[in-house]
Amino acid sequence: MTSTAVVTLAAVLVIVLGVSFLSRPRGPSTVDFYLAGQRVGVMTNSWAICGDYLSAASFLGVAAAVYVSGLDGAWYAVGFAAGFVPVLLLIAAPLRRFGEFSLADFLGRRMESAPVRLASVGVVQLVILCYLVPQSVGGGITWELLVGQGLLGLSPYATGVLLSTAVVAVVVAFGGMRGTTWNQAVQFLLLFAALVWLAVVVTADGFRYGDAVHSLSQAPLANPTLGGPAGQEWVLTEETNQMHPGEPALFGEPGARYGPLGQVALVVTLGLGTAGLPHVMNRYFTSPTGKAARTTTVWVLMLIGAFYAMAIMLGTAARDIIPDAVAGRPWLEELTINGVLHTPEHALPVLGRIYGEQSGLGLIAAAALIAAMSTVAGLLLASAATWGHDVYERHINPKATQRQAVWAGRITTLLGAALAAGLAIALRPEAFAPAMPSLVATMVTWAFAVAGSALTPVLVLAIWWHRTTAAGSLAGLLTGAGLSVSMFLTAGLIEVTWLRELLAAPTLVVAPITVAVVVLVSLRTSAPVGVQAHWVQMHGTAADRRAERMARLTRGGVDAR
Amino acid sequence: MTLPEVGASSDREVRDTPAEVDAAFRAQRAIALAYFFLFLILVAAFPLLTLTLQWWTGARVLGGLSPGFVAAAGGLYLIFAVVGIAAARLSASVESRMLGGQQELDDPEISAEEVSR
Repeated sequence: MTSTAVVTLAAVLVIVLGVSFLSRPRGPSTVDFYLAGQRVGVMTNSWAICGDYLSAASFLGVAAAVYVSGLDGAWYAVGFAAGFVPVLLLIAAPLRRFGEFSLADFLGRRMESAPVRLASVGVVQLVILCYLVPQSVGGGITWELLVGQGLLGLSPYATGVLLSTAVVAVVVAFGGMRGTTWNQAVQFLLLFAALVWLAVVVTADGFRYGDAVHSLSQAPLANPTLGGPAGQEWVLTEETNQMHPGEPALFGEPGARYGPLGQVALVVTLGLGTAGLPHVMNRYFTSPTGKAARTTTVWVLMLIGAFYAMAIMLGTAARDIIPDAVAGRPWLEELTINGVLHTPEHALPVLGRIYGEQSGLGLIAAAALIAAMSTVAGLLLASAATWGHDVYERHINPKATQRQAVWAGRITTLLGAALAAGLAIALRPEAFAPAMPSLVATMVTWAFAVAGSALTPVLVLAIWWHRTTAAGSLAGLLTGAGLSVSMFLTAGLIEVTWLRELLAAPTLVVAPITVAVVVLVSLRTSAPVGVQAHWVQMHGTAADRRAERMARLTRGGVDAR
Repeated sequence: MTLPEVGASSDREVRDTPAEVDAAFRAQRAIALAYFFLFLILVAAFPLLTLTLQWWTGARVLGGLSPGFVAAAGGLYLIFAVVGIAAARLSASVESRMLGGQQELDDPEISAEEVSR
């Protein structure tokens, strides 16, 4: 292990543990443990949501997808960023005004139905697992590249997965939402700073965006695949143009990965999926008011837009710069074939090492670890809220004391982390590279598919259509989850066609079906009796005004605007 | 355990009537739908332009990038932010005009602020 690796890892640990200690919960309260006392201000929450949302898939995966597929890789970023527009327009303020601890709890109380709450828990857990595993994979990849050594007889990859997941699990279990919020906010700022540094040094070295795209588009886009007589040698294979078959796929033009339908399907899947991501939506319950939740989302839109614009630029820069950088760098030769990286997720760390030697690698690797850890933290906390609150406190032990409920959350956090780490170790990214360029981003797409197909349609209808019933919601959740899982699993079994593109990002088809199912079943069943009271709570601003008034009376307190 | 309801009717001055909320809800729904359809059109425009307009992927505009690349690499995020800011401002404005009128009449603190202006 190099001294840079030691310093990097030590810095990450000091930041994570230090912030967690300083912001630790003050007592065994579930409102404090799961919701940070509902007093998180606009800027802090927007940074924390960005830290939560900008995962290894965003930091390593978007640049990797652009590196592999050129313009088509940018669709991941467009979809990820687009997701907060529906959140802002349709969900943020009413969701916060209604209150509760989690998405499942929201749907359960809005529909006045225990089966809806339990079905939501099932879908939420599926989304969390699909999202959690690639974050742990990201931690493993980064450790492999940064440290290159395993501990206790484990491979470097497995060591990275286990250590990064374990540290976050302990931090979340004992820091709760308050510690996680501050960790995610600080981690986002560090992540953003790392990307800005890389963009500045790359540009200062003479990288010109337009020239690079133009130059990369002069030759057909080719990427490494395992081939040769034994199928164990890396060879460059030209990508097929999905937009204009017969013509070469080019870096700067659409078609290297998706046809027109695939582009739309991916953006819709990612865009609608964001509104159903439990770890992101749960953060809105920590806002003091609905108005603050809405303002927070505006800041999130601006911050993540800047983040993704830089990630796309750096994916392009890596493709442009690395081939010329291989000469004289034996370490880079091992990672490439004809100047193209075997593992696209290495694009940013390699760029960091080219420009900053070991320190640059250390900075980017630390940012990648932080990206993975901050998202893992949010996911584990969301998992804890659903098991600890929605299942244990609501159904298993309704008379649980605050201390028992918080401990239930802590234990489920540790169990969820163990499951995710085990699955991440079983799924090594190289094994999937030929079928799934950028495994991290692809796996995250599955989480978005389930969230956007099942949770988002039900959530939007529950907020905006007062006739939505428990039976309709239940039918919608089961239909959306069942169809989306079936479709993206089927996508892996068929040839690359427009049908596979649609199946791999199924929300475009499934979300309208879910909406239709909810509407048809709701029209044949009775709406909850308390719907008018729910409406006043969700769409009225009395609670906001009261919180703002309290804030005015205690100036210097929470920012409730 | 249930959350303390900040907006519960225990404070008589801070409340909304169902009729007020219903009117505000309808206005908010119209805003949300209008901006959501604008958002859908913006997102759907990209593949349509790619298929129908050679200029979209072939021309060189900002920094030598094609219009399509500029949109995917940065332009769309800017548009999303502008849509978000506009929708949030309009929603907040509608809420403040349609809800809380009775509270302002009853609230001595707010009334005092109004008088002092």
